[in-house]
Amino acid sequence: MRRRAANATGEPPVRMYHVSKSYMAGQYALHDVSLEVRRGEFVFLTGASGAGKTTLLELIFAAEEPSEGQILVLGRNVARLGASAIPALRRHVGVVFQDFKLLEDRTVEENVRLALDVIGTPRRDARSRVFGLLKSVGLQHRRFHHPRSLSGGEQQRVALARALVNEPEILLADEPTGNLDPDLTIEIMDLIVKASTRGTTVMVATHDHSLIERYGKRVLRLDGGRIVEDVPAMGAALGGGP
Amino acid sequence: MNRVFVLIGLAFSNALRGIRSASTTSLMAVLTIAIVLVLVGGAALLVHNMSSILDEFGTELQLTAYLEEGLSEAEQRDLVERVAAAPGVERVELVTKEMALERFVEIAGSEALLAGLEENPLPASLEIQLRPEARTAEAIGILEASLDGLPGIDDFAQGREWIEGYARAVSMVRIGVVAIAIVLGMAALLIVANTIRLALYARQDELEILALVGASRTFVRVPFLLEGTLQGLLGGALALFVVWGAFEWLQPQLREGLELVVGRAELHFFTTAEALWLVVSGAALGLAGSIMALVGGRT
Ligand SMILES: Nc1ncnc2c1ncn2[C@@H]1O[C@H](COP(=O)(O)OP(=O)(O)OP(=O)(O)O)[C@@H](O)[C@H]1O
Ligand SMILES: [Mg+2]
Repeated sequence: MRRRAANATGEPPVRMYHVSKSYMAGQYALHDVSLEVRRGEFVFLTGASGAGKTTLLELIFAAEEPSEGQILVLGRNVARLGASAIPALRRHVGVVFQDFKLLEDRTVEENVRLALDVIGTPRRDARSRVFGLLKSVGLQHRRFHHPRSLSGGEQQRVALARALVNEPEILLADEPTGNLDPDLTIEIMDLIVKASTRGTTVMVATHDHSLIERYGKRVLRLDGGRIVEDVPAMGAALGGGP
Repeated sequence: MNRVFVLIGLAFSNALRGIRSASTTSLMAVLTIAIVLVLVGGAALLVHNMSSILDEFGTELQLTAYLEEGLSEAEQRDLVERVAAAPGVERVELVTKEMALERFVEIAGSEALLAGLEENPLPASLEIQLRPEARTAEAIGILEASLDGLPGIDDFAQGREWIEGYARAVSMVRIGVVAIAIVLGMAALLIVANTIRLALYARQDELEILALVGASRTFVRVPFLLEGTLQGLLGGALALFVVWGAFEWLQPQLREGLELVVGRAELHFFTTAEALWLVVSGAALGLAGSIMALVGGRT
């Protein structure tokens, strides 16, 4: 909450200006991409395999540096972040992946707490926040279990809780439901949408057209590293999204 | 402030978790450090005791300067003062011709040997006591060379040759111990660095996830430094225990042997401060090894 105040000016949390990313000379993973994502907005990134969805998300949380162009995330110029500023940025950006990325040797609670541990949140405070988050994803009764004993959908809910426990301004999800069957997919997506209705800016990369249709959110379609289509959310013209 | 304590606590618990999750490699690192420190510590203890024997007998290591015939008393006294001012000299004693004769008679038991001589043939001499730090072959050589030019001095004689040889042996052993300590220390360093590097690889997933949730470099690295330091501390403590056990076990036999050779022998174990040094060097080895691993590998 306190952090959101700093960004309450209405400045878009994610802005890209003519951003290109090239891993090999002459080949672009992203090519001249410009975009803005408003605060609290929900955006699907879609496109064929290799279109550049993952690359775009990686640029936003500073896992990769752009080859060209400017990226502003929460007012910070990501291309020019020093090594010590990257962790600081990531404390405001939650990330979720297709493969969950949970630590097998920690309990569910410890996995979620990791995001609070790195900022030195006192134990008792951390416990109650973790409990609250696990409750919101319906897993509070599993908090002392290890990830291995959980289903894929449950593991992804744990990962989502970890991404959200720090109250990030931005949530990035790369194929969060890629490993899940349709019922669980909806369950996870509903949770992500819920986060966005609380003011978190959300970007989800997915292949799944049924999802895009079901939720009617803004869609950015990538092809060969370029944004080829930017479809506004249904009803956006009326009220400006949820 | 509270957060700092939380972070320190987490660093320790993460370090312990790391040791537990790789208990075999951790144990190897502890044992390596312990073995190296047992060897180095044992050798240091040997040198320590060898040189304390030297300290006891070293006072008998002295330089005698024989004086030319016919020096006046004033000239002799002047020489005493000048020699006493030379570096490394602790005390100078003048032995006059008469005193020399007295000693000779005392040793020989009668004057009969000198009966045929009209004059006292024994020269006056200066007995030069050396400061402890000057009781080495080199220092004596240097002193001798610097006194050689003084008018009135005829010749030199060194007393107690065996002590000098012994002193040389002690300093050689000491150099040997330092060399061994360096070589073994380097080996231990590499092994610890390797252990920590293995731990880094084994926990690559964890490091990646920590980076994703915004862990600072310090948060990621400190547990590994602690891990190495803890291993070193354990290795050092183990080494101290082993060296102490060996000392207690060997001391009676050694003492007996020494008494036969040099008459009396006191063997000393490390002082508390020295013992602490051994343990602390273990910790330092562990810390340095883990720094090497972190600098060498990417995190
Ligand atoms: N680390 C890398 N090194 C070299 N090339 C890379 C790297 N990461 C991605 N690429 C290339 O960049 C392009 C875009 O990849 P990206 O992973 O962003 O696509 P994507 O849209 O996420 O695909 P998918 O749907 O398969 O996940 C691809 O051609 C890919 O081969
Ligand atoms: Mg991808």
